[in-house]
Amino acid sequence: MPDDKNKENYILFKLKGTTYGIKSNDVSQMEMVEHITPVPNAPDFVEGLVFLRGEVIPAINLRARFKFEKIEYDIRTRIIVVQKGERKVGLIVDNAREFVAIPDEAIKDPPETISGLSGQYLKGVATLGDRLVLILNIEEVLNFTDIKASMQENN
Amino acid sequence: MVEKKEKPKESSKKNTEKDVKTKKGSNTLNLREHTDEIVRSGNELSRINDRLKEDAEKQVRRLDETIKGLNELAVIIKETASQAESIASSSEEHTSFINEMAASIEQITANMVSLTASINETSSAITETSSSIKSVADNTQEMATSATQVTTSMNEIANSIKHVSTETDSLVTSINETASTIDEMAKSIKSVAENAGNLASVAEETSSSINEMAASIEEVSATSENLASLVEQISASIEQTVHSVQGVAANAERISESASSSASASTQLDRSIRSIANLAKTADEITSRAAKDAQEGASTIEKSIQALLKIKETMKQSSTVIKDMGKRSSEIGSIVNTINLIAERTNLLSLNASIEAARAGEAGRGFAVVAEEIRNLAERAAKATSDIANIIKTFQEVTQEAVTSTNEGFKIAEEGSALAEDAGKSLKKILLGIEDVAQLVNQISSATNEQLTAGQNLVNEANITATQAKQIANATSEQSKAVYGMVQISGQMRKIAQQVSQAMAEQAKASRDIIKAAQNTSNYSASVSRATKEQANGANQLAMVMENMKKSTNLISKAISEQAVAGEQVSREALRLAKLIENISRAMGEQATAANEIDKAVENMKRQADQITKALSEQSRAMKDTSIAIDNITKQIKLITGGNKKQSELTEKISELIPDIRKFFEKDAEIVRDSEKIVSNIIEKAKTLNIIMERSIKLG
Repeated sequence: MPDDKNKENYILFKLKGTTYGIKSNDVSQMEMVEHITPVPNAPDFVEGLVFLRGEVIPAINLRARFKFEKIEYDIRTRIIVVQKGERKVGLIVDNAREFVAIPDEAIKDPPETISGLSGQYLKGVATLGDRLVLILNIEEVLNFTDIKASMQENN
Repeated sequence: MVEKKEKPKESSKKNTEKDVKTKKGSNTLNLREHTDEIVRSGNELSRINDRLKEDAEKQVRRLDETIKGLNELAVIIKETASQAESIASSSEEHTSFINEMAASIEQITANMVSLTASINETSSAITETSSSIKSVADNTQEMATSATQVTTSMNEIANSIKHVSTETDSLVTSINETASTIDEMAKSIKSVAENAGNLASVAEETSSSINEMAASIEEVSATSENLASLVEQISASIEQTVHSVQGVAANAERISESASSSASASTQLDRSIRSIANLAKTADEITSRAAKDAQEGASTIEKSIQALLKIKETMKQSSTVIKDMGKRSSEIGSIVNTINLIAERTNLLSLNASIEAARAGEAGRGFAVVAEEIRNLAERAAKATSDIANIIKTFQEVTQEAVTSTNEGFKIAEEGSALAEDAGKSLKKILLGIEDVAQLVNQISSATNEQLTAGQNLVNEANITATQAKQIANATSEQSKAVYGMVQISGQMRKIAQQVSQAMAEQAKASRDIIKAAQNTSNYSASVSRATKEQANGANQLAMVMENMKKSTNLISKAISEQAVAGEQVSREALRLAKLIENISRAMGEQATAANEIDKAVENMKRQADQITKALSEQSRAMKDTSIAIDNITKQIKLITGGNKKQSELTEKISELIPDIRKFFEKDAEIVRDSEKIVSNIIEKAKTLNIIMERSIKLG
């Protein structure tokens, strides 16, 4: 299928009203927030540790990672477990309920004016119908140096 | 002619002498027979005297004529004397004739002298009679004056009695008796006038009776003084009564005013009571209406309380129901949450399945579709559950609102029921109050009804009182008028009493005067003397009557008014008496005047007789002179034959006149005879009068 080559599956999630997209291939699984064990001396966006399918995974509050204010967890709150290499991280988002295929040509680079500020976490901006979907740069989101630096900064 | 003339002269002389002598004895007898009736004799005397007077007058006239004729004769005789010589032949005859004539004249003169003597005697007797008549007349006059005094006194008494009080009935009869008695007395006094002798004792008894009357009048005077003092007391008490009646009148007027004001006040009261009654009626109606309304309100409130209680219960029930519903909706919410959770999980599962299917590549393609469909279903379920959740949320909100509103409703219903209960209570209180008010209003209305009747009665009573007070006021004013009248009357009574006492004093005085007069009368009547016995009888009757009168006068205080009438009658009778006495006195006066006239006539007669005597003596003298002269003139007479004719004519005249003279003298002689009779009568009477007078003097 020629279509298959030109398009890729994305998981759409929402954070503070804005729809983000993440490649289905980067997602190992999705879970509801059930119990997070807080870890000491962890940065603000690190919520703690979750135990999933036999694995202990760190849970990051993406709102806090994106410097948004935190909100209470509810039934729609999701932990999207992302695996990049050996590293598995749980991203806590407001909710995530769509699985869509987005053609490559629908994805465009983020505008220059915002790339300086939050461009490091965005791969591009996709238009899906009349909706705007921000395609997340997962590597940069999972950049631990940055996390470490911020943890050091916190320290 | 001369001879013819002589003869009748002589015969007439002899006749007259004989008549006088024979009739003297019988005259004395006749005089003795008529001694008792002095008045008749007096009348006869007066008549005789009148005749005598007339005859004397005629005689005088004739004698005048005679004298004239004689004068003429004297003149003629003078003429004749100068011419006597012519009748000388007849002068001697004449002389003898004249001598005879002179002798006859002398005889006449002698007769005349004796006549004069008898006339003198008659005159003296007449004078005595006259004096006695005069004294009788004087006595009668005095009696008349005393009777007049009596009359005036009686008039005074009558006038005074007239003024005296009203009850003098018993006196009338006695006074009538007195009047009749006085009539009798008047009759007897009349007989006294005729036979004025018996008055003395009667007068004495009258005097005693009058004394008694005077005493009784004194008593009456004393009684009237008592009456005056009583009248004084009465008038004083009447004045007191006047004061009290005036006070009563003033009080009655005040009462009348207050009664009329109370009447008007009670009318106002009645009006106000009526208005109160109307007000009470309206109040009663209003209260009954209010009671009805309140009862209706109470029942309504009761109903509303019941309704509110039902509302409360319903509210409770609905509240529980709503609460239940809320519970149920929350259960539904939890179920919906569960469903939502399931839907979320299903979505999550489908996503995970999609991720796994995408990893599986071509092998997982069908599975991806199923996951897709499952995710769609989950999405729809999530959407439906979220819709349900929304619905339940609103439902829960609504139920919550319903719960709160039912709670509020419940509370309000509770409050309402409490308020309604309070309202009911207050309505019950109002009802009780209204019942009390109604009772009070009923009481007021009954009381006002009673008041109305009482007020009506009060009005009537007040009106009656007012009218009565007016009547009282009128009556008291009339009373006061009457009392004023009484005062006036009592003043008049006082005056009358004073006048009565004065009159009584006057009466007493008058009675004293009467006594005096009676004494005088008795004194005078003592001298009058002859009617004493009849008067005594009359006086006895009078005494009896006066006794009655005394009794009656003792009853004067009761019988004075009739006494007035009787007094008038008495005064009338006294007037009559006075008149009678006056008549008597007049008769006596007439008698006296007649006696006087007789006296005068006798005096005249005497004088005439004297004159005649004188004239006759002068005549005789003249005749003697004449005869002398004739003797002297005999010679000359012969010369007077010329005048002889005239002389003979004149002598014829004389001869004509002389028979007249003779006739007159005859008459004179008769008169003298009668006079002698009368005189002897009078003498006898005077004697008997003297005896009676002496007797009466002895008796008196």
